[in-house]
Amino acid sequence: MVAMDAKGWIGASVPRREDARHLLGQGVFAGDVTAPGMLELAFWRSPVAHGRIGAVTRPAGVYVAGEIGPVTLLPAGPDMPGFRQAPYPPLAEEVVRFVGQPVLAALAATRGAAEDLCARCEVEIAPLPAFADVPAALAPGAAVLHPGWADNRYGSGHVKAGDVAGLDAPIRIRRQLGLGRQSAAPMEPRALIAVPDRRTGELVLHISSQGPHVLRHALAAMLGLPESRLRVVAPDVGGGFGAKNRLMPEEVVACALALKLDRPIRWVEDRREHLMAGAQAREHLYDLTLHATRDGIALGIEGELWVDAGAYALWPTGAFAEAGMAARNLGGPYGIAHLDVRHHTVATTKPPMGPYRGVGRTGACFAIERLMDALADEVGVSRYDIRRRNLIAQLPHTTAAGMTLDTGDYPAALEACAGMLDLPALEARRAAGEKVGVGFAIYTEQSGHGTTEWAGRKARVVPGHETATLRMHPDGSLTLLTAIHNHGQGLETTLAQIVAEELGLHPDAIAVRHGDTGLSPFGFGTFASRSLVFAGGAAKAAAEMLGAKLRRIAAHFLQADVTLVDLREGRAWAGAASIPLVDLAHAATMRQERLPPGEPPGLEATADYCPPEDAGVFSYGVHAAVVRVDAETGAVALEDYCVAEDCGTMINPMVVDGQVKGGVVQGIGTALTEELRFDAEAQPLSTTFAEYRLPDAPSLPEIRVLHLVTPARSTVHGAKGVGEGGAIAPPAAIASAVEQALGLGMVVTQTPVTPRRVLAVLP
Amino acid sequence: MTRLCVNGETHDVRCEDRDSLALVLRDALGLTATRIGCQHGSCGACNVLLEDVPVRGCLVPAALAEGQAVTTLEGLRDDAVMIRLRAAFTAHHALQCGYCTAGMLIAARDLILRGRAGSAAEVRAGLAGQLCRCTGYDGIVAAVLAAQ
Repeated sequence: MVAMDAKGWIGASVPRREDARHLLGQGVFAGDVTAPGMLELAFWRSPVAHGRIGAVTRPAGVYVAGEIGPVTLLPAGPDMPGFRQAPYPPLAEEVVRFVGQPVLAALAATRGAAEDLCARCEVEIAPLPAFADVPAALAPGAAVLHPGWADNRYGSGHVKAGDVAGLDAPIRIRRQLGLGRQSAAPMEPRALIAVPDRRTGELVLHISSQGPHVLRHALAAMLGLPESRLRVVAPDVGGGFGAKNRLMPEEVVACALALKLDRPIRWVEDRREHLMAGAQAREHLYDLTLHATRDGIALGIEGELWVDAGAYALWPTGAFAEAGMAARNLGGPYGIAHLDVRHHTVATTKPPMGPYRGVGRTGACFAIERLMDALADEVGVSRYDIRRRNLIAQLPHTTAAGMTLDTGDYPAALEACAGMLDLPALEARRAAGEKVGVGFAIYTEQSGHGTTEWAGRKARVVPGHETATLRMHPDGSLTLLTAIHNHGQGLETTLAQIVAEELGLHPDAIAVRHGDTGLSPFGFGTFASRSLVFAGGAAKAAAEMLGAKLRRIAAHFLQADVTLVDLREGRAWAGAASIPLVDLAHAATMRQERLPPGEPPGLEATADYCPPEDAGVFSYGVHAAVVRVDAETGAVALEDYCVAEDCGTMINPMVVDGQVKGGVVQGIGTALTEELRFDAEAQPLSTTFAEYRLPDAPSLPEIRVLHLVTPARSTVHGAKGVGEGGAIAPPAAIASAVEQALGLGMVVTQTPVTPRRVLAVLP
Repeated sequence: MTRLCVNGETHDVRCEDRDSLALVLRDALGLTATRIGCQHGSCGACNVLLEDVPVRGCLVPAALAEGQAVTTLEGLRDDAVMIRLRAAFTAHHALQCGYCTAGMLIAARDLILRGRAGSAAEVRAGLAGQLCRCTGYDGIVAAVLAAQ
């Protein structure tokens, strides 16, 4: 049941406690950590996309595969026999498979000196065929990237519901669509330092990571260490967005060398390395046919989709969730009952794909929304009306792909978003000849999904729970320990709000610690819009347990019935009588003789939380983009951007706004500017921020956000996840707006919508 | 040895000709508020003041800063504009992960001191070349307007 706001911390825009240290430049990121005797690591990376390694000439201090110490490769990708294995070696052994793959590891006193060592290395590489995209990889007769594979597919799947073929629908619209390749591009590139601790015998890895416990599990298995002797600390992390949530070769090499040499080893990724060899994302291809009635009711989707997953599967799950999620989400927020979609995860000679904000759904949303626009044009209704006709009107609704869209009102969100715009004024400008247009797109965002969902995806790691420990110290101050990670989401503040609400305290009374396997109970980290739901649930449950004990002790002190004891303002109350919590804490820890008979000492509670609806709760929203297009240059200017969204109860509306706006702007990057390009030999063409263009302040309007609040049925305070949703819909909304501005039908089929691509679709 | 004057203190540091000012501030002097985001002058995370003018710390060789006053975020703790900016950044949720923040604050302070923060459009234009991946910039623009 939804607990109503009793004491006022739920729904309050509490200023973030995280801010103070960053505003003073006192945040500590992994690249800020140093240790005496530290060596710095640089990599000699493959200059060719595919080749066989021959003779290696190198100076002392440079290591080849096999010299860094024993490393066991882990299977990666979904845990199913049909998914072909492509283990990613920390250093390439016989074959290199993308430009940027680490081949040699150089150690020196400074990064510059380590790079000098790399410059003196010579590696003979006999070229093998490169395939820079899905069509090339799947072309008949294409070379096969991994030994034993029959073709260049990691695997394929089939999402089938209903009977599309049997529909005999009068309208069939077939389109090919594509989403460009991207980098998550957090402002802090990856960074790490592995430090042997001689006192404890632990290897301590400080690393910019979204999930320290899960990373520790993989690293320990690869290095042959017990997990008890590997401590992973993720300090302040300068953005993740998915790119810091996979096991990468650089951390394996650094840890192995630190163990081998018994010295601290630091590696700090530079931007070129991040854009060349960090986890990449998004690149989808679709060939879909939408089946519909003559009055524009969409009935079914059939076709195929392909994801360019690059050369290796990153542990744990590779890129397989990407294609499967895209296929399952193709129905979007519409009541489409028939689905027949085959999906393929394809290997190319490009860097491996990882997750990125919106995983799978940014592509799926682009595809279905583009098809809905085409359907509107085909049957002669407005693109707004086609959505109104097809939106699911009544929730809950189980989609053709088996997902239960739980609460909310999709048509109301569409109307609310349109209400944020002056559509007649826009129409008047168009009538006067201005090339302006509006586009709408609607998304759903699965969040807080647990065991059933992840096990169903055959995940190797099933993040179906989170654990929190809440500890009241003898002086009454509190520490919450949690295994999610906070790298911009404001969770140090919002989790404190949840605990404060439960215990009748000010949030400042609760310290929140995370990101350290040496401190926190096991947990999965921050990704998939899960942390507020999972860690919030665990924090609330731990606070309830601690609160119950405080009430029992207070009842004893106040000589009152425990059911009458209330916690507020830092005191326990029974009627007009009260006692400060600090007195209860002191009794429970330092002066046990004061406790009620039979009450064990200590004030610490550890609670585990699994969401009751473990198939997830769905946030949703409607985006509207207003653009002006210069038909001479093809340049697209964003004039206005509106969001009407519903993420359930907002714990901290200011933080929610930040998540929505930040996500939208990343989606605008997907839509307009960001693309990792490669030539036909799979040489990367986007290795600086000059070629890989992130949105900047002058190119953006204010993002206007309206909140519709429909509490979730089962989560803590009725909250849903909100981290990813903003990044899902912008490509679809902006593509549609560009077409209206130019007076064209559905012709924009590829992101980003660069000036060159706009000029290409002009008649 | 290179003699650097940073935040009013003089330091003799050992550095190579190729070492950037940002690198030396961080590694030799431990002034880690200066973040490195791209190493090619595109993101602005490494902004520092050289004789009170913002520069990209990643593009300035440390040796060229010899004899000039270098100011990092650490040296602006008691600066009147910076005090207002810090309060406004929190009030307007102008930071999330915090990595771009030091460079953003130094750029924002410069806009205010030069009288180039009169409107949202002017602030946006002035923040060209300052990348933030988290906030979408709205909070930053609002904070700069509020702090001037």
